[in-house]
Amino acid sequence: MLEPLIHLRKVEKRYANGVRALHDVSLDVKRGEVLCIVGPSGSGKSTLLRALNGLESITGGEVVVDGFAVHDHRTNLNALRRRVGMVFQQFNLFPHKTALENVMLAPTTVLDVPAADARARAQALLDKVGLGDRGASYPAQLSGGQQQRVAIARALAMQPDVMLFDEPTSALDPEKVGEVLDVMRQLAREGMTMLVVTHEMGFARAVAHRVIFMDGGEIVYQDAPEGFFGAPRNERLKAFLGQILK
Amino acid sequence: MRPSMKRWMWHGVYAVVLLALGFGVYLATARVDYDWRWERIPQYLVGTEGEEIRAPFDGFVDVADDGKSIVLNELKGAGSERYAGFDRLLVGDGDLVFQNDVLARKSGLQAGPLAVGLWVTLEISALSLVFALVLGLVAGLGRVAQNPAARHLAATYVEIIRGTPLLVQIFIFYFFIGTVLSLSAFAAGVAALAVFTGAYVAEIVRAGIEAVPRGQMEAARSLGMNYAQAMRHVILPQAFKKILPPLAGQFINLIKDSSLVSVMALTDLTKAGREVVSSTFSPFEVWFTVAAMYLLLTGGLSWLVRRLEKGMAAGA
Ligand SMILES: Nc1ncnc2c1ncn2[C@@H]1O[C@H](COP(=O)(O)OP(=O)(O)OP(=O)(O)O)[C@@H](O)[C@H]1O
Ligand SMILES: [Mg+2]
Repeated sequence: MLEPLIHLRKVEKRYANGVRALHDVSLDVKRGEVLCIVGPSGSGKSTLLRALNGLESITGGEVVVDGFAVHDHRTNLNALRRRVGMVFQQFNLFPHKTALENVMLAPTTVLDVPAADARARAQALLDKVGLGDRGASYPAQLSGGQQQRVAIARALAMQPDVMLFDEPTSALDPEKVGEVLDVMRQLAREGMTMLVVTHEMGFARAVAHRVIFMDGGEIVYQDAPEGFFGAPRNERLKAFLGQILK
Repeated sequence: MRPSMKRWMWHGVYAVVLLALGFGVYLATARVDYDWRWERIPQYLVGTEGEEIRAPFDGFVDVADDGKSIVLNELKGAGSERYAGFDRLLVGDGDLVFQNDVLARKSGLQAGPLAVGLWVTLEISALSLVFALVLGLVAGLGRVAQNPAARHLAATYVEIIRGTPLLVQIFIFYFFIGTVLSLSAFAAGVAALAVFTGAYVAEIVRAGIEAVPRGQMEAARSLGMNYAQAMRHVILPQAFKKILPPLAGQFINLIKDSSLVSVMALTDLTKAGREVVSSTFSPFEVWFTVAAMYLLLTGGLSWLVRRLEKGMAAGA
């Protein structure tokens, strides 16, 4: 059998201030799998994603992503991060660069891709997220939904093996949520491995192969969407879903 | 009253206050029987007496028949030197002259002592500015670095420099470091000003970097950029826009602070002012002139920075 693309074993994370953000988290994700992570605020969802690309160091257990032992301090995290795309709630586009330059920057500086190739590829990615005509715009001139789509294109420019999304639509006006979810749905259809922290239960139900419920830093429950949303056998999850679907 | 009339009224108030202040100055000088001699000042800005030709050694003068050239024959030795192209001859045929005596003058304008002082101040300020920028950038990056050695070194530098008076630092650079490394007064002055200003620039750079949202560094790093690449391509360009105004203020301070190097054997604008005062006995006119010349430098710098800011605003 193929080795899982992501492998977590008994992961612990305690912040310097003593907060235990992750506890005994074990998880395997196969190549091509789409995973949605839901849970109340402060349950450790962001911490989990950030532990995967080493933005946050863990205090116990093992994290292996794409063959890189993230928990090992000898691992070259820069090399790992080239293989792992990340999309943030606040977009975090580079405000001093145009949309096209945002998408080109990492390939040209990190991979030494010639500018002409990087430009052509960036243009193709902007076309793909439906912003082919906005390449010359600066982030401040784009709507939230457009910025988030540029951010997705920027992450894709490194041709990652896995994409991490941390509440990608939470900062958007409701009418802009759809355009971003459409891009993500398209990515999932193309077979991208995705971990998506989201409150969009419709998206999770329709796109995810597996949904994970986190609470208090632990994975409390996981199942395929039918079971997860249909008849969950967990009281905390029931209460959470009752809250959110109300 | 209409708003536009009201505004004109306040412009009027401004003019009246300025006039009143000027009149106050006039009254004050009238009280001490000061007599203004502004006509003495221009010659210290631009000299008209012409460039001097001085004797390089002791010797006898031999004037050519047409009076258009002279030859100076060395008194003790076989050296001789020929001069031509002057406009006014100050020696006669057969005269004995000594080293450094003025033989003749070429007419034309040349910089007076105040103008030379202005140039020295400009030179010192510009050189210190460049070094301060480099030093401040390095120390500012040190302040925000993960590495404890870099962080503590940068913090120590900033604390020591900001905690001691510039005048004392100039003395230390001139008398101690300058002596040990046998620096000229000029080099010691530039070094002292650069080290002093660099500490303030470091704090400005640090504040600018810290004002860039944390998400920028995280986005850059999660794309696989290393720390240096993220700093260079993402953080510093954004920080630079934020630090340009305080940086400009710091460099204006640098120009003004440079007047303190006049305590060394260095004739900057302030020192030139002191020398001119002692030969004219017109301190009011001289110091007003010197102040105006500093204003010219600082105003010019402000103007340049405003243009740069406008250019950057248009670029993004
Ligand atoms: N840098 C930090 N330092 C200290 N504690 C932190 C830090 N980041 C997060 N925490 C704490 O760790 C816990 C988990 O936070 P995390 O951001 O992972 O939750 P989350 O599930 O993403 O929440 P949300 O839905 O609000 O984004 C919370 O209690 C939070 O306060
Ligand atoms: Mg979060």
